[in-house]
Amino acid sequence: MNMAATTSKPWAGLSNKIASETGVAGIVFMILALIPIFVPGYTTYILPQYMLFGLLAVSLAFLWGFVGILSFGQAAFFAIGAYAMGITMKTSMGINPAYVGLLVSFIIGGGIAAIVGYFLFSAGVRSTYFVLVTLALSIMTEQIAVSQSDITGGWNGMYMDRITLTFFDLGKMVLSDDMSSYYAIFILVIISYLALRYLLSVKFGKVLVGIRENEERMTALGYNVSLYKTSAFALSGAFASFAGALYGSHANFVSPSLGGILFSTEVVVWVAIGGRHSLLGALVGGIIVASISNYLSAWTPEYWQLLLGLIFITVIVFFKGGVAGAVKSLYGLWLERHKR
Amino acid sequence: MTEILRTEGLGKRFSGLIANQNIDFSVDAGTVRCVIGPNGAGKTTFISMISGHHSASEGKIFYKGRDITHQSVIKRANVGIARKFQTPAVFEELTAYQNIELAVLGSQCLQADRHDRINEVLQLVRLTDQSAMQAQILSHGQRQWLEIGLLIAIEAELLLLDEPTAGMTVEESAATALLINMLVREHNLTAIIIEHDIQFIKDLKAPVTVLHLGQVLCEGSFDDVAANKEVREVYLGTDEGRSL
Repeated sequence: MNMAATTSKPWAGLSNKIASETGVAGIVFMILALIPIFVPGYTTYILPQYMLFGLLAVSLAFLWGFVGILSFGQAAFFAIGAYAMGITMKTSMGINPAYVGLLVSFIIGGGIAAIVGYFLFSAGVRSTYFVLVTLALSIMTEQIAVSQSDITGGWNGMYMDRITLTFFDLGKMVLSDDMSSYYAIFILVIISYLALRYLLSVKFGKVLVGIRENEERMTALGYNVSLYKTSAFALSGAFASFAGALYGSHANFVSPSLGGILFSTEVVVWVAIGGRHSLLGALVGGIIVASISNYLSAWTPEYWQLLLGLIFITVIVFFKGGVAGAVKSLYGLWLERHKR
Repeated sequence: MTEILRTEGLGKRFSGLIANQNIDFSVDAGTVRCVIGPNGAGKTTFISMISGHHSASEGKIFYKGRDITHQSVIKRANVGIARKFQTPAVFEELTAYQNIELAVLGSQCLQADRHDRINEVLQLVRLTDQSAMQAQILSHGQRQWLEIGLLIAIEAELLLLDEPTAGMTVEESAATALLINMLVREHNLTAIIIEHDIQFIKDLKAPVTVLHLGQVLCEGSFDDVAANKEVREVYLGTDEGRSL
């Protein structure tokens, strides 16, 4: 390695990685853009749900991979978003309820996470106990969804319509057919992914990584660590909730189990398999593992969870950084070899 | 010269155990002060109270004339008090450059000047060639310098250095003494240094405060302190005692 080159461009290694992630992201989004054309029908209906699961996974990777905070409460925010959407859609108002619903879900998800995060992080709660509280958050969400049946429909769940996107006077896009819903969700998922990636590339994101690496050092440098952690948790909750709102309207339905522990655990599995240090890894992990789960559960209803568990253990044992981490280090090895 | 830090009757008890007691201490801006004392003398506790990592059980701490006794670590860091820990606390998986960048991001440095500022600090702490290396693969001495670099990068005014030469070779120690004296002279910083390495303290040519059993035993130039009968008794039979 040329020393002068590395000192003048200290981020060279990292920008290579980012460039490669952007390249892979381009390919992934290209494939997702083409799928409805080549594989229409059921795929166009089901894949947007998996893309939203992917966004849910991204919201967790942002928190777990970059701040080092594991949450078993992501599904709770997902369900909160879906319910918020359903309830907003039922109330008639002057402006397009779709926009209000999306905004409300984003704010409520972020707000609840901010309140929970504020009390836990400013009290200096350790990560292990934080995980337990997020578990409780999932249980509470599911229980409230069941018990408040007047509003939520209880065990029967809540039905809602597909949203309609309006563009001022320029026209509108009714998402009742699967194709337009697919592309609307596709674009919103890309925007959310890029927004979170942008946040990680600026000061905010660098400070979060510093907190992951050495929290005490960051405090001693004068950073308000609990404020940063609270903000990160709030953002993560907001995007999880936003994904849930889109999910509810696309699937036309939300039920209490969407906020439960079982689903929360699945989100953690997606991210662990996909790779928590990469938002793209988590996105693809969410989409693919959720698809595989669906396929496996149809093929072998008794053993699919066992198979999924085996995949999970295999990935974790052999690649700690998940598939994305493995791909990155293989790519790094390949680069090294080609330099020589 | 103006006083930057003063403690009055500072004390710390850990449920019955007296770690520090009745410490009256004062440092002028732009000077170096060494704090020495045998193991268990309460040196780290004393530094921890100044940095805010421990709360004082009694007494007061004044920084630039302002009472900071009850302020948090974050607040003290933001007014310019920065601490280097006994075991280097750096960001292990980040490169030297990224380490310094995190500190520069917390300073007043403008975005356009950041890159230059980071390289300037790396040069000061002699890590220019290591800038793309992860902190965890640097030598112990280099990690100590990296941590000192963090303190410089956030534009701290009072450096609290807890054993900055631990794990360093003789040459590295001597270079560290030069670095600290240069920083103090040219960047108008103040440094309070805890050390066991007597040669390093001699190299610093700075006034010394001796702590013993949590209290100030004596203060003065290194030669005065080394000649003090009580100090020699305290250090009797230890390695430091032989090199006094």
